[in-house]
Amino acid sequence: MKKRGLSDVQFGYLLILPALIFIVIIFLYPVIRNFWLSFYKLDYTAGGHLGFIGMDNFKNILRDGSFWSSLRFTIIFTVISVPIEFILGLVFALVANTRFKGRNLVRASILVPWALPTAVMAMGWQWIFNGMYGVFNDFLMRFHIISFPVSWLAMPNTAIFSVLFADIWKTTSFMFLLLLAGLQSIPDELYEAANIDGASGIKKFGYITLPLLRSSIVLAFLFRTIQAFGVFDLIWVLTGGGPGDSTKTVSIHIYNTVFRYLNLGYGASLVVVLFIIMLPFALGYARIAWREE
Amino acid sequence: MHIKRFISLFLFWLLVAFIVGYSLAPFLWQIITSFKPSNELSSIPVTYWPKHFTFSHYKELFQGTRNFPRYIINSVIVGLSTTILCIFIGSLSAYAFARLQLPQRGLLLRIILSASLFPAIILIVPLYEMVSRFGLANNYLALIIPYTTLNLPFTIWVLTSFFRQIPTELEDAAKVDGVGRLGLLFTIFFPLSAPAMATTAILVFISSWNEFLLALTFMSNDTARTVPVGIAMLGGRSSVYEIPWGSITAAMVLTTIPLVLVVLIFQQRIVEGLTQGAVKG
Amino acid sequence: MKRCLLSILLVLALVSAFSIPMWAAEPVTISILMGPDNTGGWHQVISDFEKANPDIKVNLIEGPSATNTREDMYATSFMAKESTYDLVYMDIIWVPKFAAAGWLLPLDKWFPKTQWKLFLPGDINGSIYNGHIYRSPVQSDAGMLYYRKDLLAQAGMTPPRTFGELVQISQKLQKPPGLWGFVWQGKQYEGLVCDFLEYVWGSGGDVINKSNEVVLDQAPAVEALQYMVDLINKYKVSPADVLTFQEEESRRVFQDGHAVFHRNWPYVWTLANMPDSPVKDKIGIIPMVHKPGYKSAATQGGWGIGISAFSKHPNEAWKFASYVSSYETQKKLHFLNGIIPTRQALFSDPDILKESPHYPDLYKVQLGARPRPVTPRYGEISDVIQREVSAALIQKISAQDALKNAAQAIRDILKR
Repeated sequence: MKKRGLSDVQFGYLLILPALIFIVIIFLYPVIRNFWLSFYKLDYTAGGHLGFIGMDNFKNILRDGSFWSSLRFTIIFTVISVPIEFILGLVFALVANTRFKGRNLVRASILVPWALPTAVMAMGWQWIFNGMYGVFNDFLMRFHIISFPVSWLAMPNTAIFSVLFADIWKTTSFMFLLLLAGLQSIPDELYEAANIDGASGIKKFGYITLPLLRSSIVLAFLFRTIQAFGVFDLIWVLTGGGPGDSTKTVSIHIYNTVFRYLNLGYGASLVVVLFIIMLPFALGYARIAWREE
Repeated sequence: MHIKRFISLFLFWLLVAFIVGYSLAPFLWQIITSFKPSNELSSIPVTYWPKHFTFSHYKELFQGTRNFPRYIINSVIVGLSTTILCIFIGSLSAYAFARLQLPQRGLLLRIILSASLFPAIILIVPLYEMVSRFGLANNYLALIIPYTTLNLPFTIWVLTSFFRQIPTELEDAAKVDGVGRLGLLFTIFFPLSAPAMATTAILVFISSWNEFLLALTFMSNDTARTVPVGIAMLGGRSSVYEIPWGSITAAMVLTTIPLVLVVLIFQQRIVEGLTQGAVKG
Repeated sequence: MKRCLLSILLVLALVSAFSIPMWAAEPVTISILMGPDNTGGWHQVISDFEKANPDIKVNLIEGPSATNTREDMYATSFMAKESTYDLVYMDIIWVPKFAAAGWLLPLDKWFPKTQWKLFLPGDINGSIYNGHIYRSPVQSDAGMLYYRKDLLAQAGMTPPRTFGELVQISQKLQKPPGLWGFVWQGKQYEGLVCDFLEYVWGSGGDVINKSNEVVLDQAPAVEALQYMVDLINKYKVSPADVLTFQEEESRRVFQDGHAVFHRNWPYVWTLANMPDSPVKDKIGIIPMVHKPGYKSAATQGGWGIGISAFSKHPNEAWKFASYVSSYETQKKLHFLNGIIPTRQALFSDPDILKESPHYPDLYKVQLGARPRPVTPRYGEISDVIQREVSAALIQKISAQDALKNAAQAIRDILKR
């Protein structure tokens, strides 16, 4: 029989080629190029010429107080937001996994924060946290939690609170989805067997749910940590990193470095540092999530 | 015994109410705000239900020098192109991964998936260089190509696992009929996975609609802006320093209500699709 | 196979169809990005220009009011070597950065040195970089002190000259919270630097001295910053809210009659004397206060038009730029938008003097206005100063530490 055209394997590679091309051009090449650039000076306030400077960019990072404070805030932001969104997301997922009337409506509502564009909703949060006319102040005052309006976005501590509040609101949705997947993969029979044995809700949760959810939980934490570390949209629109750089994250510092200070080489080195920080989490995720592949 | 059940039931419903309120309240507030006339916006204390309903903010969005309709058109064009491109290329790859035994399959898949792990800020400097070198600033392609790339991992993952579930007997039957490999793709896989592809398409479209960083960076021309950037940049009309909350919330509502409706209607499928993609990660 | 090829071609066609560039190409249209044209004045100037130049159309792109954002919009466009904008409506502080990056056309051949003396020296100096002129000045700005002359007259007091006098009068006349002594711009943004520098210069200090050394951490500057901190916390003549004020917020407080003194730009005069203003005809202006033995200082602000190095129509662009900077158009913009002109002759124009009798005083202040540090890295330096001054104002760190940090960071930035 005449062998027509390509073998299965060759055909397969051909099919994958377009996707690979995209990935190489938009992901692999930029990552590599960024590493390369970080060893060069490329500063538009100094003429914009490419010049090799070795480790100088990285040495400058050590003296860049603005970077370190942004790193500190980013870490605080991540460490606070991820656990809280996890707990909320877990509760939401547990509820949504229970059978009750109106469950679909509840699941649909939980999806709403996920569906809304972060940047657009950040404008909405600016309005909610508005010092003079915002509903957040009004709400708190009606319940006598505060006695006069707070300028949420004008002072560092309250701005940090606002940013965390707005972020957790959105990311709870993500966690919900990640954990719901895990919950749904737990076979009902296990719960039924436990019910027959007369196990209480807490026991079921501790002995069945949590252990079987473990890899989902780990994956959720790893994934969300990477995303939280790179947060940009929400904070850039909500506070711009202010006041007093109190809500400035590493990614905002990078953005300013590149597009305001026009220092692309240094910006690339900052990206390298960010990448290195994220790498262990990414590798951990890859190892667990893509084990079978 | 009954009291205990009653209390736990009550607490449960309280929790449900909290969840729904938590999820919807901030957005509902934007909707309410968008219908309040400007003077009511600055009333103290806050009015929770508009005293007077007005559509003026919505009308204002389409007036004169505003580019608001433009933003929507741009987002739609970028979103549709990205979705079509992504689903098409993604399903080609998914077919190959699902059915054709490729050596190095694991490695290739991992390479593709790695693109979904890192936030876009990692890529911004070189991507900007490329956009600048090829003169693509303010060009739809500057967004379509990266968006497609960033959505391919998820798309390929979901479609691959879906394709794998399609029974091989169907393919065998088709092969006997003389249908070629590519023909298999079009006559069997596509139709059978239409629901999964549709769901994935919705997710890609939403992801493209909501993207901010790249849209902010590559589209500096106001007529080329997409919705999220356009709304974030809405400047003051009445005074140089005032922010027009009425217009902003109206813009928000107008551009997100379709998203929310789609999500509400396809909620079941979307959760399935996302949890599918999330099952192994 | 054929169907496959066909669909691939279809997708490619769709994608390339959508890749058609976004801007409409009409014969000689030049574009400029500005803030919102609230009064409609710019549209009128443009339509007058187009009548006089029928072969040129000017596309006014109204961007957000935040000047930082517009600066970023220009920057991202120029970095990509794009020709979206032919003209640049530039804040004086953008000139060194844009010029050093090669984004602006030198205007020397159209705008020779002989013409420079027709303009205010501060505005011309702020348009020059490395010996070439890159911006045609349109409107000027200088910080000044507004005061309630009715309240001072009532108490038999003369306007203050020094830091101390300002505090004394404020403490005597204020009745917080209905009437505060002194409101200004204390939020962390560019305006804070403008306010801050006036105190620094008025104390004999500076950011960078004539020998190019950073002297921001020296005694005069520290004293100046301490004075600002004390205004709120020790002398209590300024409300804590000033830390959230930009220009408009502080103006509203003063214009509603809730402050005795107000530091701001000249634009407040027109607005505060409008028929519905509670302080109409009750205000006066004087140069900013200073330390005894030193001179009053005003921060130089102002806007002008530059030409993009990537513009495809530089000649037409210059026609528009010089039209806007002309005597007649500046006068028109003065009456339409309340701008302070940059042409010296306009300060003795009879029509202007009739409507703004305070202009001779204003002229003196403008002549003495000083520029913020002139370097392409000013944006970064400003961010440093903003951050540290703000931290001192909210009393997170001492004035001394704040300026020590700032000076160190600035030295690093300049060394780069």
